[in-house]
Amino acid sequence: MEMPSTRDNHPSRRGFLTLAAAAGAATALGGLPAFAATPAPRRPTTSPMLAPNVAAKNQLWWRAPGSATSMIEQGLPVGNGRLGALASNDPSREFLTITDATLWTGGRNDTLDGDGQFPYGREDFGSLTMLATLTVDIPGHDLGAVDAYRRTLDLAQGLVSTAYDIAGVGYRREVFASRPDDVIVLHFTSQGAGTYTGTVSLAGTHGESTTVDPTGRYASFGASFANGLRYGAAVTAHSGTGTVAVSGTSISFTDCRDLTVIVSGGTNYAPTATTGFRDESVQPQRLARDKVLAAARASVRELLHTHVADVRPAFERFAIDLGASSAGQRELDTWERVQARWRDNVPDPELEAAYLQFGRYLLISGSRGSLPIGLQGPWLDGNDPDWMGDYHSDVNIQMTYWPADRAGLTDTFDAYADYCVAQLPVWTEVTQRLFNTSTNRFRNTSGRVAGWAVAFSTNPYGGSGWWWHPSGNAWLCQNLFEHYEYTQDRGYLAKIYPVVKGAVEFWETRLVTATVTDASGATREVLVADRDWSAEHGPQDTRGNTYSQELVWNLFENYHTAARVLGRDADHARSVDALRKRLYLPEVSPTTGWLQEWMSPDNLGETTHRHLSPLIGLFPGDRIRPDGSTPAAIVAGATALLTARGMNSFGWANAWRSLCWARLKDAEKAYQLVVNNLRPSTNGSNGSAMNLFDIYETNPGRGIFQIDANLGTPAAIVEMLLYSRPGHVELLPALPAAWASAGSVAGVGVRGGFTADLSWRDGRVTQARLTSVGGRSTTVLANGRSRQVNLRPGESVTLRNL
Amino acid sequence: MPSPTTPRRQPGTRVPLVAAALGVLLAAGAAPAQAAPTTVAQAAPTQAAADIAQRPFMGWTSWTMQSSKYPGLNPDGDYSYLTEANVLKQADALATKLKPYGYEYVNIDAGWWRDNAWVPRFDQYARQTPDPVRFPRGMQAVAEHIHGKGLKAGIYLPVGLEKEAYANGTAPIFNAPGCTTANIVYPDLRTTNGWDSAYKLNFDNPCAQKYIDSQAQLFADWGYDFLKLDGVGPGSFKSGDNYDNVADVAAWQRAIATAGRPIHLELSWSLDINHAADWKRYSNGWRIDTDVECYCNTLVSWENSVDDRFDDAPAWSRKAGPGGWNDLDSLNVGNGEMDGLTRAERQSYATLWAISKSPLYTGDDLTRLDDYGLSLLTNREVIAIDQNGGAPARPVTPAGDQQVWGAKNPDGSYTVALFNLGDAPASVTAHWASFGFTGNASVRDVWNRRDLGTQRNAITAALPAHGSRLFTVRPGTALTSTSYEAEASVNTLTGTASVGGCDACSGGQKVGNLYVGGTVRFNEVTVRKDGIYTVAVSYVSGDARSVQVSSNSGNGSYLKFPSTGDWGTVETVSVQLALKAGANTITFDSGTWYSPDIDRIAVPQTL
Repeated sequence: MEMPSTRDNHPSRRGFLTLAAAAGAATALGGLPAFAATPAPRRPTTSPMLAPNVAAKNQLWWRAPGSATSMIEQGLPVGNGRLGALASNDPSREFLTITDATLWTGGRNDTLDGDGQFPYGREDFGSLTMLATLTVDIPGHDLGAVDAYRRTLDLAQGLVSTAYDIAGVGYRREVFASRPDDVIVLHFTSQGAGTYTGTVSLAGTHGESTTVDPTGRYASFGASFANGLRYGAAVTAHSGTGTVAVSGTSISFTDCRDLTVIVSGGTNYAPTATTGFRDESVQPQRLARDKVLAAARASVRELLHTHVADVRPAFERFAIDLGASSAGQRELDTWERVQARWRDNVPDPELEAAYLQFGRYLLISGSRGSLPIGLQGPWLDGNDPDWMGDYHSDVNIQMTYWPADRAGLTDTFDAYADYCVAQLPVWTEVTQRLFNTSTNRFRNTSGRVAGWAVAFSTNPYGGSGWWWHPSGNAWLCQNLFEHYEYTQDRGYLAKIYPVVKGAVEFWETRLVTATVTDASGATREVLVADRDWSAEHGPQDTRGNTYSQELVWNLFENYHTAARVLGRDADHARSVDALRKRLYLPEVSPTTGWLQEWMSPDNLGETTHRHLSPLIGLFPGDRIRPDGSTPAAIVAGATALLTARGMNSFGWANAWRSLCWARLKDAEKAYQLVVNNLRPSTNGSNGSAMNLFDIYETNPGRGIFQIDANLGTPAAIVEMLLYSRPGHVELLPALPAAWASAGSVAGVGVRGGFTADLSWRDGRVTQARLTSVGGRSTTVLANGRSRQVNLRPGESVTLRNL
Repeated sequence: MPSPTTPRRQPGTRVPLVAAALGVLLAAGAAPAQAAPTTVAQAAPTQAAADIAQRPFMGWTSWTMQSSKYPGLNPDGDYSYLTEANVLKQADALATKLKPYGYEYVNIDAGWWRDNAWVPRFDQYARQTPDPVRFPRGMQAVAEHIHGKGLKAGIYLPVGLEKEAYANGTAPIFNAPGCTTANIVYPDLRTTNGWDSAYKLNFDNPCAQKYIDSQAQLFADWGYDFLKLDGVGPGSFKSGDNYDNVADVAAWQRAIATAGRPIHLELSWSLDINHAADWKRYSNGWRIDTDVECYCNTLVSWENSVDDRFDDAPAWSRKAGPGGWNDLDSLNVGNGEMDGLTRAERQSYATLWAISKSPLYTGDDLTRLDDYGLSLLTNREVIAIDQNGGAPARPVTPAGDQQVWGAKNPDGSYTVALFNLGDAPASVTAHWASFGFTGNASVRDVWNRRDLGTQRNAITAALPAHGSRLFTVRPGTALTSTSYEAEASVNTLTGTASVGGCDACSGGQKVGNLYVGGTVRFNEVTVRKDGIYTVAVSYVSGDARSVQVSSNSGNGSYLKFPSTGDWGTVETVSVQLALKAGANTITFDSGTWYSPDIDRIAVPQTL
């Protein structure tokens, strides 16, 4: 198999940044409001469009449109990192649900309930809500008379396109969400005598009234929430052929052979605690109007090229080929293919690779320049998303970002890091004021509190929701620090350092001493986490839970490294090291043979519980390593516990299981769990919806979208192909038979500051290339042999004869 | 106001049907649970006029608007739409707009002999006689007007002697000296029909036939060409001896034969399929299902109950033919706002009726047809499919939200219909292999009146919610398949599964008793190339049953096979399964319930 050439498949980070800068789009969030006036983007001077046969390699496609009443399962997502939309692609009624990641109700939510925990309602804690719906009615294009319907999600170019014929005339439309122009564009074209006649309607979802401006150039609305957040949206349309005019509160178009519709919107949210997370200078309705009118001054071709030039380099930093699918599989559309994959249990490597790329597409579309991706990202179909569409700190947001560095989207991690940094002042203030409230059953026995903590849920206003989650800070920091391991970016490390240090300080006040008896009968004093829950089952008042012990161990270790790299807090770091050495670490239960979840040999929870909290040291941590460096009994206990948790869970729980099995090098179990997440979801059952969104069945017949599985599963696929920790890389640690015959992957992030490209045949690595993004040395284990690689930042080495 | 002679569907009426279905389920693989009782008079029935119902009849019925709460239709109380003025208005519209396309019957439904308070009126011979407010000039004048438009006239009766006509047993029977109403019913006045609104006729007494003769004579004298006999059992949500009206139907056939005028005899409603042979012998058509009307603010609704027909029609597909057709009830697609249906639903409704060879009679207000409705009712190619004399179409794929139906046409082409019964748009694919051919085939889009050119191996269409497409396909190459008998010794049977005799099955045997975990696994199903195959499954199932079908290690699909109508008829549906080069297994697993009996499978030799 040919290695993908560097030029086509693996632009360097430097190349990416250059392209992005050319598109005028490289804006960091820090200090800037999420929705702001920006100078006109620079337009690419050459076409960035992929040739159709090249683009086809990264396209999903369907032979039927989505239903306006099932947008979560059937709408196709687009997003510019802040604004997201789902498109139905019905010929006679293009329908978009539009969500701005910052359109949150609620606020600081810093008055505890009587039990010392946080309120968790849509008014107090708040909820992500939809911004608008956009409808383009084209009554003459009834689906009943449509032939050759096809809609396509082009992952590499960030395009949703729809093509169909009516009476032999071809029609085509494209929908894309541009970050450089900060608008969503719908472009309708036809061949020959085909025309469009209908209306464009923009509607708010909170009872706003849309109005048209007197000159008839646009329609818009604006309003504000009870929490003071202002928001607004605007739409304009134009055609080079027919008539476009204002009609009531809509825009009508008549006999148009082409039609362009441009919509934008946003809020005056700002990621700054000092201004109450508002930018009072922003007038969202007016800004949305300015943006759509500015974009309308450019040609659609310019808008499209600017958008593709922006997203393509990000997408192309990673490429994957898991092997060829059959001709019969390729004939099927994506949804039929998902169904056939499950029905026949015949591997479909191209579909499985596409599932990974779809996850990457969601990260590119939902995590650039604004808030991070919550439980659904900016893809809602109503204003009551389950669990508020919030940020869950006990696996969900962490999992969402697991593929960022692994799968060549290191820049999308910024939204996560910037979020934590921006929230820190409020998290700190609220924690120090409220955590030791006497009614909080999780309060510190020491009576002291420092640093910061969060609850299970967080919002973008520094607010926490539901129960305190003392270990959540350490887990958030685990991702933060791991991003440094991938990038070796000291500037970044300095940015997040206060967050990590604050979490460490919290734990310095929280650890308590306990006396344990070793197998030898000797007793020793250890440090354990105070009374807590092993999320989300079992007793709620146990000390020394494995989940907490592992996370704190990891936090303290990372703090040690961070302080050393930055040359700060040497004395404090030493004292934290001393604490770490005294931390109790989990044992294997003589009763169950499992790694203990609690400081008890008994199973105090649900055997097949969705969470793998006690295995957090296996993944995402790597304290438990099946390579001889961890006592075999611990590895065996972890394996036994993972086995007991079972293979039949859902979405993110399957993804986490898969990642753990990949770490244990059980390729087939890891693969089966990927396959389980590709099970077609019908009537809300667990699995993948028509649009590949992961569906979790909360009650029989009721499924909800949780994006974390769409991102955790890709992370698992990468983890099956490459394992890394600083100083150590392992190629093909868990390659399943389904992908073994031949394949390649390029642009994989490597902890320690590298990226890797590798190809394989018959299960053996045939070639690997390591590029330093800051790392200097590592061992590389391939085909059972280890070698040492030393590089300077920017250098690459190709390893052959493996 | 509830009406005793109104076929209003009751919420609970499904329960006995489910129980009956369960009874058949438990007799898996056995002969029909109910043999047709031989209550019919032995005299050979006179042959009906040869030209009656050679093709499904076409026309209009009054009941749809009578039964609706649509504003303005029934200003003088429920069912008050039925008047001479309204009937003649509709007849005139039918003659103008639809007659050129073959619509000819103007059918007066229930109530012509009842006032607006639903009080009936009878002549001295206990025969229904027109309500003077509804029909001030009587029924003959109406028929004459209809005939004057070149159309045919239809009338209606409930089966049995209506209770109000009994007159203490004293009413004489016309042209039957010595016979009174007391002689034509049972001494215990046992009741019959779907509403228990009549006394059951006792044909052991010749007076009963005379009563029917007198009614038929009246209709013939008035000039009626069509009679809907309603509330007929077994059916009409009734079963048991008192509701067995086979003898009534036979009596009507005899009476019509001697009345001096050909009269089409149509039976209603939800006739018992176990008596299909009786209905075919004595009548010209039978309602297979409950009322299509919704008794609501529109004429019909998709869920209540157009969509029921997709489940219920397959069982009857082999019961219809020239002389007697499966009646799916009225076709109300002419005015979207009144019909209460989307465009897609209206087209699907018309499609199912046409491919099922159902009579095509609308209950719409023909003076208010919209353009789309008129186009649906007057598409000559669709009407030609309904009228081509061939067998009704059947599903060629298992029943689910996306279905493919088809039938071979008398001219060798195929009618292929795609349906999306789901609530969201979906694509549906018809594989030519499901019809026994392969390669290139020319496709005509019937509704849109366009040739779509040559399509290779399959056609796929995006269908709206509840949508459909209708194609005529001229096949290319015949498909060559390899058959594997279920009963072959190489196969593996588990649990309850067993081999049983089956006259209609290939090899004379099948594998039945597939229930609660019983499985049959076809072993050594051999193909030359890896791929996804269209595997034809021949099966027997007197009711719709589901089975998990899988190949090799696949999870398979839980598929509902449509009823074959009885336990002696084999039908075929096809399923998509991946097979690998070499030997494969294909498994039918009953899971937790009852599955069809499997006759054989056929696997294409090439992809």
